[in-house]
Amino acid sequence: MARWGMVIDLSKCTGCQSCSVACKAENNVPHGSPEEHEKRQTPFWHKVIAVSSGEYPTVRIDLIPMPCMHCDDAPCVTVCPAKATYRREDGIVIQDFRRCIGCKYCIVACPYGARSFNYKEPDEEEYQRPDPPSERADRGIWPFPHRIHGVVEKCTFCFHRIDEAVKEGKKVGEEVVPACAEACPAHAIYFGDLDDAGSQVSRLLASRQWLRLREEMGTSPKVFYLTR
Amino acid sequence: MSRRTFIKITAVAGATVAASRLFSHPALGSVVYSPELPGGEGVITEKWVPTSCLNCDTRCATRVRVVNGRAVKVTGNPLSRVSEGENCARANVGLQVLYDPARITAPLKRTNPAKGRGIDPGWTEISWEQALSEVGDKLKTLREKGQPERLLLLSGLNTVSAEDIIRRFAGAYGTPNLVSADGLNNEADKAGEWMADGHYTQSAYDLERTNYILSFGASILESYKPLARSLRMWGKIRGERPNRAKVVVIDPRYSVTALRADQWVPINPGTDGALALAIAHAIISEGLYDVDFVNNRTSGFDEYKKLVLDYYDPDTVSGITGIPAETIRQIAREFAATGPAIAWRGRGATSWPNGSYTSYAIFCLNALVGSIDVPGGVIYQENPPYRPLPEPAEDDTAIKGRARPALDLRKTERFPAAEVVTNQVADSILKNNPYPVEMAIGFNSNFNMSAPGTGRWDAALEKIPYYVHAAPFISEMAEYADIFLPLTTFMEEWAYDHSPPGSGFAEVRIKQPVVEPLYNTRNNIDIIFNIAGRLGGTVEQSFAGIGDDAGGFVKYRTAVLAPWNKLLEQGVWVGPDYEYYKYDRIFKTPSGKFEFRSGNLEALLKEQGEEINSLTGLPYYREVQYLGDSSDYPLLLSTYQPLLNVENGSQNYPWAQEMFLVMHGAGWTNFVEINRRTAQKLKIKDGDTVWVESPFDRIKTKARVFEGIHPGVVSIAGGQGHRAYGEWAKGIGVNPNEIIGVDYDRLSGQAALFNTRIRVYKA
Repeated sequence: MARWGMVIDLSKCTGCQSCSVACKAENNVPHGSPEEHEKRQTPFWHKVIAVSSGEYPTVRIDLIPMPCMHCDDAPCVTVCPAKATYRREDGIVIQDFRRCIGCKYCIVACPYGARSFNYKEPDEEEYQRPDPPSERADRGIWPFPHRIHGVVEKCTFCFHRIDEAVKEGKKVGEEVVPACAEACPAHAIYFGDLDDAGSQVSRLLASRQWLRLREEMGTSPKVFYLTR
Repeated sequence: MSRRTFIKITAVAGATVAASRLFSHPALGSVVYSPELPGGEGVITEKWVPTSCLNCDTRCATRVRVVNGRAVKVTGNPLSRVSEGENCARANVGLQVLYDPARITAPLKRTNPAKGRGIDPGWTEISWEQALSEVGDKLKTLREKGQPERLLLLSGLNTVSAEDIIRRFAGAYGTPNLVSADGLNNEADKAGEWMADGHYTQSAYDLERTNYILSFGASILESYKPLARSLRMWGKIRGERPNRAKVVVIDPRYSVTALRADQWVPINPGTDGALALAIAHAIISEGLYDVDFVNNRTSGFDEYKKLVLDYYDPDTVSGITGIPAETIRQIAREFAATGPAIAWRGRGATSWPNGSYTSYAIFCLNALVGSIDVPGGVIYQENPPYRPLPEPAEDDTAIKGRARPALDLRKTERFPAAEVVTNQVADSILKNNPYPVEMAIGFNSNFNMSAPGTGRWDAALEKIPYYVHAAPFISEMAEYADIFLPLTTFMEEWAYDHSPPGSGFAEVRIKQPVVEPLYNTRNNIDIIFNIAGRLGGTVEQSFAGIGDDAGGFVKYRTAVLAPWNKLLEQGVWVGPDYEYYKYDRIFKTPSGKFEFRSGNLEALLKEQGEEINSLTGLPYYREVQYLGDSSDYPLLLSTYQPLLNVENGSQNYPWAQEMFLVMHGAGWTNFVEINRRTAQKLKIKDGDTVWVESPFDRIKTKARVFEGIHPGVVSIAGGQGHRAYGEWAKGIGVNPNEIIGVDYDRLSGQAALFNTRIRVYKA
C-alpha cells in the first residue's frame, strides 16, 4: 500500500495561486463573499498563506501553498467524536460529510488551519450555485457533487483522481496528480508514494533540504517543503 | 462500512440530489442524468476544446473541458511552447468570466439623455438589427460629411484578430484615431529599445537560458507579459537545472517577484536610470564589459563611456538612489560575470517623466555585457506569418481623414516618438484639440477606470455626442454609451491570438467556441464586418474576400500555417526555433549597430526641428519632476498590479476576489500600504481608515502597515474600485487612478504613473 505525500518546492513556487484556484474548480469548493472573508469563513481546501518576518529593508515574506497536511498522526482524527474524519490505509485523511455532526472540534485541533466549516445556509442563493454533476472531476468520479450544510470540509489530496488512477493502473505522481499540482505553472508541487524510494517525492526528500510545518506538534505531516 | 461502500453510497446519493437540482436550473436543463447509472457514470457528452485565454494579453493556449455543454475546467494546452502547456491562475477564472451572472444578454439603448457618473442610463433592450442600423447610420452620416477623423475608436483588451479588424476598419473608414491602452502600459519600455536598436517594441528575454536577472521594477511574477511563460521558466531556472539563475529585484516595494528573488534592493523611486548608469560605471571602470561585442557590434560607446564615467560614480549615485555604493558595485560585478545576464526593465522603472531615457539606460546594460541576441539574453520576437491581408480599398475621404493629425498628438512636438498616447485623448476631447469628436466606439476599453485622472475621462465621455460601447458587461465606460453592444466572451467566439514578445519563436493560438454563445451576443469581428457592409463603398470593399465573418476571417488568416482541421484540433501553431546572433540584420539604426548614442532619436528630433545637444542622444539621467509640493504632500503614491487583477475591465469574479492580495492574505479589497515607521510618525495604525490625498483628489481607504515598502512611498493595488456593475466588483476597494495626476514621458507618450505626491491622514 502506498503512502501518499506531497512535496512543495518553495524555490520554484511563484506565489501565483493557480493551485488554490484550480482546487476550487476541481472540488467545487464554494467561493466566499466580502462578508464571509471578513468573518474568516470563506471555505478553502487549499490556500497560499504569507508568513512575514523582519523589518524594512530586511523584511522577509514567504508564500506557502497550504493543502491539508494529511498528517500520519492527525489531531483531527483523534478528536472527532463522530469518527467522521479518518485516515485511509494509504494515508489520506478523509472527511465523511455524512457522519460529520458539525462540532468543529477538528477545526480547533488542526494546527494548520486546513479545515473549513460550511456555513452556507441551504437557502442562500450563492449556496445554490449550480453544482456540477459528479463527472465534473477531471479524473475519476468526484464523490461529493452535492455540498452539505453545516459540516466540516477539507482537502482530499484529490483522492478521486488517485483512486481512479490506481484502479486503471496509471502512475500516480507522473500521469495523475492532484489538481493543485497539475495546475502549478512552475512545476513546484510534486505528489507520490513516500514509501517508494524510487518515487520522485522520495528522491527529492533524499537529495534536498526540507521542512515540515509545525513539526513540534508531533503530527507527522505528509506535506514537505523544499526550502529556498 | 468499508471505504468502498461509503464512496459508492455517497456517489449515488449525491448524484440523486445533484440531478434534481440540475433539472431545476435552466442553464443546465439539457443535462440528462440518471441516478441509476452505476458508479456515477452519468457522462452524456464530454469534450476537451483547445482555445486560448483572454484574461490578460498573454492570451495563453488553454484546453477547456466541456461536460454536457457546460465548461467546467480550464487547463493549459501541452502543445503550447510559449508557456510549455502552463497557465496562470487567471486562466481558471475564465470560467467565471463565461458564467458571470452580470453579463449583458442583448443590445441596449440609452433612454436617459443625461450622462455622468452614477446616472442611470435607462437601458432598454433592442434588437441587433436596430442597434447596428443606428450605429451604421451615424457612421455613414459622419463619413458623408467628410469628417471621418471625428470618429474615435478605443480599444481595450481584444483578441489579436479583433485588433487587426479594428485597425483595418479605422483605416478604411478614414480615422487616424484608433487608441489602444498601450499608452498606459509600457510605451516607455518600447521607446528605450527603439533608441538603442530601432525596435519600437517590448523587449523579449530568453528567460529559459539566462543565468542572472536584474529586474528594474519589472513585476515578472505578477503582471509582466507573457506571464505564464515567466512562471514556467521561473520554475525551470530556479530548480530544474544544476546552475540556478540568480535574481536581483530593484523596486521601492517588496513585490511577489522581490520576495521570490535572491536579493531585494529598495531604491528611491524614479532613480532607476541613475542606478543603471552607475552599474555601467562600475562595469566599464573595472573593465568588465564585453569588449568584443562593444567594439564590433555597437556605436557611440566612447561618448557613452565618457558620460558614465564623468557623472555616475557609484558613490555619487548612492546619494541619489539610496543604495549603498558597495551594493551597486556588487550588482555590477555579478551582472558582468554571470553571463548570460538580463537587465529587465518594467513599468515601475519606466512609467515616469523621462521614462524613455531610463528605459534606454537600463537596456544599454544588456549590450555592455554582450547579452544581445544570444542564448539567455535579449532576443527579437518573431511575428507569426499570418496570411497577409490585401491592401484596403480607399477613397479620398479615407485618405484625407487619415492624414489629419491624431487626437492623441502622437508624433508631434509634444510626443515626438509616440505611437499612442492613450491618456492624452481625454484632454483632446475636452478641448476639441485639434477638432471635436463626433462619435466614439469603445471595444472592451475602460479608460475612465484604468487611466490616471479618471475624472477627465468621465467628462470627456459625457461630452462625446454619440458613444457606442462593446463589451460582455457594463463597465464604467459603458455607463456613458448611447448604444451598448454585448459581446461574446473568449470562450464563445472565433479568434486568433499570440503573446506579447517573450518567447522569440512565433506561436499562434486559435480560439474556437468552447460552448454555444449563452446569450444574444456577438463577436466584435462580426460586428465590424456587419457595419462595414452597411457603410458600403470602399469600406465594404475593404472587408470583402477576407472571410466574411469571424470564423471565416480566422481561417483566412491562419489556414496557411497548417491544415485547418489540424489547427482546430491542436489549437496552437508553433513556428521554427529561434535563431540567435542575427547581428547583420537586427539593428535598425543609422549605424546598423547597437547604438549607445541614439541616431534614431537624433534624426527624429532633428526632423521635427528640435535642437540637438551633446546629451540628447545619450541615456542620461534627469531628476524626476513630481506633481505636488513636497512640503504639503510628503509621500509618493505608487500602484501595482496583483496577478488576480483580471485585465478585461471587470473584476466581478469571486475566485479572483477572494485571493486578491496574496502577500497580505487579503481578498475582496485593496488598501494603502504604508511603511511602519512612516505610519508611526503619522500616528496611523494598521487597519485605520485614512484619506489618501493628492493635489487633485482624495480617496478613503484602509491603511495597511507594511514592512515591504520604502518609507517615502505608499502603494495601492490596482484593479478594484469598480462602481458600475457586478455584485462581486461594485463598491469593493478604491481606484488609485482617481487621484493620480496626469503626466507623461514626453518621447513615448507613456503615462507617468508614479510621480504624484500625496499625503495620508486619518479619516
